[in-house]
Amino acid sequence: MNTWFKSGSPWVWLSAGGVSISLISVLGLLWLIASKGLSYFWPSELYQFDMVDEQGNKSVVIGEIYDREQIPVSQLAHLNLKLDKDQEMLERLLVKTGNRELVSLDFRWILSSNITKTSTPSDLAVVERRTNGNFYGFIDSLVLDGKPVDVAKLPQLLERVEQFQAEIEDLQKIDIGAINYQLESLRLKTKSLALKGELTASKQQEIDDKSQALKDEYQTLEQQLMALREKISRDHIVMRAMDGQLVTINFEHILHVNFNNQLGFFDKLTLFFSQIAAFIIDDPREANTEGGVFPAIFGTVLMVLLMTVIVSPFGVVAAIYLHEYAGKNALTKLLRIAVINLAGVPSIVYGVFGLGFFVYMVGGSLDQLFYPEALPSPTFGTPGVLWSAITLAILTLPVVIVSTEEGLSRIPSAMRHGSLALGATKAETLWRIILPIASPAIMTGIILAIARAAGEVAPLMLVGVVKMAPNLPLDGNFPFLHLDRKFMHLGFHIYDVGFQSPNVEAARPLVYATALLLVTIIVALNMTAVSIRNKLRERYKMLEH
Amino acid sequence: MISVTPKALSADANKLDLTQLTSEQTALDIKGLNLHYGKKQALQDITMSIPKGQVTAFIGPSGCGKSTLLRCINRMNDLVDGCHISGEINLHGENIYGKHVDVASLRRKVGMVFQRPNPFPKSIYENVVYGLRIAGENNRRVLDDAVEKSLRSAALWNEVKDRLHESALGLSGGQQQRLVIARAVAIEPEVLLLDEPTSALDPISTLTIEELINDLKKQFTVVIVTHNMQQAARVSDQTAFMYMGDLIEYSDTNTLFTTPMKKQTEDYITGRYG
Repeated sequence: MNTWFKSGSPWVWLSAGGVSISLISVLGLLWLIASKGLSYFWPSELYQFDMVDEQGNKSVVIGEIYDREQIPVSQLAHLNLKLDKDQEMLERLLVKTGNRELVSLDFRWILSSNITKTSTPSDLAVVERRTNGNFYGFIDSLVLDGKPVDVAKLPQLLERVEQFQAEIEDLQKIDIGAINYQLESLRLKTKSLALKGELTASKQQEIDDKSQALKDEYQTLEQQLMALREKISRDHIVMRAMDGQLVTINFEHILHVNFNNQLGFFDKLTLFFSQIAAFIIDDPREANTEGGVFPAIFGTVLMVLLMTVIVSPFGVVAAIYLHEYAGKNALTKLLRIAVINLAGVPSIVYGVFGLGFFVYMVGGSLDQLFYPEALPSPTFGTPGVLWSAITLAILTLPVVIVSTEEGLSRIPSAMRHGSLALGATKAETLWRIILPIASPAIMTGIILAIARAAGEVAPLMLVGVVKMAPNLPLDGNFPFLHLDRKFMHLGFHIYDVGFQSPNVEAARPLVYATALLLVTIIVALNMTAVSIRNKLRERYKMLEH
Repeated sequence: MISVTPKALSADANKLDLTQLTSEQTALDIKGLNLHYGKKQALQDITMSIPKGQVTAFIGPSGCGKSTLLRCINRMNDLVDGCHISGEINLHGENIYGKHVDVASLRRKVGMVFQRPNPFPKSIYENVVYGLRIAGENNRRVLDDAVEKSLRSAALWNEVKDRLHESALGLSGGQQQRLVIARAVAIEPEVLLLDEPTSALDPISTLTIEELINDLKKQFTVVIVTHNMQQAARVSDQTAFMYMGDLIEYSDTNTLFTTPMKKQTEDYITGRYG
């Protein structure tokens, strides 16, 4: 026993055990998120439950099963159920019934004991809509241009509507959006000239002419838009809900109509992947409880990239100063202590700092100096993607500085001496020899910075993230990258969907799906950085003397 | 007695009077050089003239100050904290420790090769042209010519001409040291300082480099520090013997190794100490 202790084996087992537990926990977490998140996209069976309640009333419930639960009888004592004396648990099902125009809640619990018959009729359809959530029911009839048509034509009609919708969206977002943007810039230009006192009659006339031209274009586009809308407004589908009521749904509101019970495995698989694709590519709907998360993905990635671009030069230069140029005195010691303490500040404090200093002070001054015509509406004096990136850059600065210094100190002085002996200055030696050799260490610092920043949500809530952003920070209008815009963020999206949404049950699977997406994106960013670092390591592999 | 084979036994016209060199014959003029590392004095009042176009060797036991003196000539001691220097070193009449001397351009005129080969982690080509690029030369043709010329001077061309763009770290120790020499001669300095260039190498590489030094002196003034007396005797024209920071004896190699004037010198070269 004693020799076993002395050999060091217990410590090896202990550390191996610790690592294994960590690994298993991480994998377990990923498994949980993945299974709950991905199951959201798998097309589920549509059920029809024939029910009898305590009073003997019959009803029909149609929908998807979301959850199954065993609950103790005591919780349902108020329902006065007729039960066996020794029955302790009851099963109940959480069914998503949709149909918000007919019932108040999307979801309801039904007791298994009340179900008389469960069936999966093959012509049960689920209609995904742009507003108002899903509709479950049977198709009664199709109307095209006011005239009834054969139900079999449904796929064709859907395709037709989809094409028109795509055109409408392009027209709205791109063309009309550009005109609005230009009109706004003309308005700001007028105001700016007026403030400077340079608004002459001829200039005013020029601007008025341009405005008029744009407004005319706007009119033409609007008419086009209305014509397109008109084309699909006369088509609708009539559905029969679970209680027999007929509901008319216009095609312009419909995204998909699926007959889940008719789908074979491969059809379901195709639908599964197309729904995942839609999740990643589409914009959110219904206060973030439905639709995709594309703006959040875009915002997260853009902000992380901006932050990297900001923190890298500052961190590397600071490390170079501390390592190469600073003298060995008390001031340098103080600087080092300050840098290390930066790493310990809670991230929400960074958010407050960012808000106070960057948004109000610096942003306010920028507005006074460069955008006076827009005031009192702030341009940079308000949270935005630039301030978020800078705030997170400061948050991750100590990590980059420490990694870079570590890398610099590992370079043998023979390299430096060799370069200096050839007539290079210190700066040239740094730029041509030292920094390239230290680049793997710099990449390590950047990787750690990305890892830390991608997960931070609290400071961002103060300096730039919003629940719903009307547009992306990158679009087709000059100057293309709009650093003053607010953006959406996956981490915040998870918080918002999980805790702030009006319909918590509907949102819960989305939380898992979004969390899985966030983890995947961070892993992808890290893998990219790691592969870059490996390439650099290969190139600058130092042979040990 | 340790047998030492001096380069030429006959008295020859090459024998210079080291105390009476003309300014054309002098490469470096060291006058009253004193060096302190903090409180400790490492060099005491060194005065000597190093002739142009010849190989001068510094020998002596460990810690005698020969490497320190060598590093004074291209001001590499400036990089050491707490190093104080007084006195003069004149390169072509100008004191390199003068107030307005540009150290970087000094180091382009006085090149150095270190004890352990230190090629940069770049290609062989980029290593050789490094000094030229620093000096501002970026013309591809000029650089190509310089690479071939210096690699030939360093007797390395035939071995690496087909892999100029491969990493320099893939060469053997002897090849790396020759590469470093090529790198140093590529910028065509006036003086070449070699700090124990073969102490980390095998005998064959050592021989190659010693032959090299013999060729190099046709183009540059060479100052070599070595703890290997036989090497000093084989390679150099003049030899300076140092001990504990003092210059004990300085004369042409033949004389110093066959008929040294000071007893300390004789003790050292016959192996009684050091």
